[in-house]
Parts: sequence; C-alpha cells; structure tokens
Amino acid sequence: MSATEDRQRKGDTDFRAYQSIQLWMDVVNKMYHLSEEEWRGRLHVLQQFCELEDKDPDEIIAEARSDRAEKIDYMRRLKRFAKTLTANPTVAHDYENIIRSFFINNGARVVTKPYSDVYNRTQ
Amino acid sequence: MEFLEAVGQRRSVRWFKTWEQVPSEKIQRILEVVRLTTCPGNLQPWRVVVVERDKIDPEVRDQLLACDNWQGAHTQAPVWIYFYADPDGARPETFATRTFELVDVGALPAAFGWNKKSIEGAIFQNETMPAGMPAINELLHGLPYEMSANVAYAETVGACAVATLAAVNEGLGACLHMIAAPSKQEEVKRLLGMPDSFVPVWQLLIGYPAEDPDAGGVRPRLPFEQIFSYEKWGRPFSRDERVVEELEAEGLKQPTGEPKPNRFDELKYLARMFGYPV
Repeated sequence: MSATEDRQRKGDTDFRAYQSIQLWMDVVNKMYHLSEEEWRGRLHVLQQFCELEDKDPDEIIAEARSDRAEKIDYMRRLKRFAKTLTANPTVAHDYENIIRSFFINNGARVVTKPYSDVYNRTQ
Repeated sequence: MEFLEAVGQRRSVRWFKTWEQVPSEKIQRILEVVRLTTCPGNLQPWRVVVVERDKIDPEVRDQLLACDNWQGAHTQAPVWIYFYADPDGARPETFATRTFELVDVGALPAAFGWNKKSIEGAIFQNETMPAGMPAINELLHGLPYEMSANVAYAETVGACAVATLAAVNEGLGACLHMIAAPSKQEEVKRLLGMPDSFVPVWQLLIGYPAEDPDAGGVRPRLPFEQIFSYEKWGRPFSRDERVVEELEAEGLKQPTGEPKPNRFDELKYLARMFGYPV
C-alpha cells in the first residue's frame, strides 16, 4: 500500500495524529489561537502536498531536517505545487506559507519573504 | 522630544510600514547627529552608506536582502543605514592629527601638558608622558593594525547607539541589525563600494513602525544592582527609588512589564498583511 493510499484510509483524524502535525498545531496555537475552520483548510493543503510528495508529514520533516539540499528541493516543489492550486500570486504565496509554517514550526528553517508587491503598496 | 523620552520610548522595531517613506530631511538630521557623536581622540572612524530601499537599483536591493537572509525587518524598512569602521581612522598617526586639532582649538589644555611635541614624542618615539597626562605612548606607540580595527569598531558602535536615539527623536522606528550573514559580508562591501579594509559593524533600519512599539512590553533588563557597583565590584551602587520616580515622570519609562493582551493577535495580523507564515 502506497503512502497516499494509506493516508486516504486514515483520513483527517489520523492525519492530525502525526507527531509533526501535533507539534505544528501546538506551537502555532500557543501564540495565535487559530480557528478550527482555519486548521481544516491548512491541513487540507498540507495533505495535498504530502500526497504529491507521496510521503507522510513526519517523513517530510525528517528529510528536511537531515538534508539541507532536500529541504531546498521541497521549497522548489512547493512553489510549483502552489501554482497548481491558484493562478493568483498572492493566494499562491499564502498556500506556500502554510507549508512553510509547517516546516518552520517543526525546526526546519526555510527562507521567508513577504508578498512580492510589498514595496508597491499605498497603504 | 526630550532626551529621557527618547531613551524611554526606544524599542527595536521589527515591523515597518513598507509604504511610508522617510523624508530625506529626517535621514540627514540623523546623520548630522552622528557626525557630532562623542569619540575618544576625536577619531570619528565611522563610515556610513545610506540606502533608500525604493530608490536603489532593485537588483542591488534584492542582493543586499539576500545577503541578510531576507530578514523581515530589513525587507520592510524603507531606509538602511550601513555603519562600517575604518581602521585607518584609528591609527596612531590619525590620533596625532586629530589631537593636534584639539590642541589648536584649546580643547586639550596645555595646563595638563598637552602640546604637539609631547603627543608626537609619545606616539612616534614612545616617550613617557609626564604626570597628569594619559599614557598614550603605551596605548598608541606601535599599535598593531588589528587593535586599530578594534578601536574603530568600538567607537562606531557608540555612533550606532546615538543614531538609534536620533531616529527615535525623529518619531521613527529603528532597529540595529546585522549587516549580513558573516559569509556574505564581503559581498555587501562590494555592492556598497566599501573598501576591503573597512570593518562591518551594524546597519540601522529606520522607518515608520507598523507595530505598536509598546505591544511587546518591556524588554527584560538586568537588575540595577547587578550592573552598577560602587568603589569596588560587587558592592552595589545604592539605588534611590525617588530618583527612579523622578526619571519616570520625565519620560524614562517603559510602562508595562508584560506584552499587551492583543500582542499575538497583532503579530498574526502583521504577518498576514505582509505575507509571512503564521
């Protein structure tokens, strides 16, 4: 059974049982108290990313933490992944940030940048 | 703004309004203050490059940001003031030149023994300074170049501190920030056209704060008694609470000990507004 099939079987509840997911939610909620609705949306995006990678969340974090080159490759693939979800660059950036937050709060440091139009804003 | 208010209100601001430019007059006012900063021997070894984020070539801007790992405050601040220390500005011969000037204007009193002959003798011939004079022969004669770099660095740090307060005095937010990752310092020097010999010190990020400067609460400070001794280390300088109250009344205060209740909501909002992960 592939990792993807395995995840489909486990469903959302089991997806939250992964250690990396729990840590992510604990750390973020401690500061920002995100709503359950927002978490559902975030987990859905992460789940899609995991399916694309055909790995579970713990495997992705373990790889990203142990191999810098692999972590950078994940970020490259993340950009492509976000573009498949939307054509809007700002929304795509938001999708990327969900996965970046997952990485960062699991100890896999990644470069963060603001929206590309940040210098052109008028307010 | 009064001096004590500037010290009391200063916080390291890490979220700036990207869309609000700093008038060039305010930048110049900060630089004029730095120019008059106190410095031993009047050496003035600081060398500064001002970068306005939206006026510099965007390609260079992005290279400078990349050298600093795209740090959030750096990315957002509209003005970056790069401070470097010039070791040649703290060489014995420079000290001689500067102190001659101080003798000429009467700042270094002849009554204490200051004159050009004694300065030259001490610095260049290692002649012992007479009683009543600093032992500059021991300090400066044969001073290694690395020590000049240390002196220049230390004096430039002092200028950075004054620049920070000058920015607060202009109603701006400010944050002293590393110039770049250590491995990227040479690259930044190249981008800014700085000579190889200059030593990177700090960059001062300035702009209008997007965050409430008080929202993060008081930055923890070491207890007064732990820092200040009287006559002998470990014998605490006596602290008079009435003086503390007077200073607070005059503006030297940081009113709350804890972050404001909505601090993390504010951070969440700011991160989302600028497009950072939450």
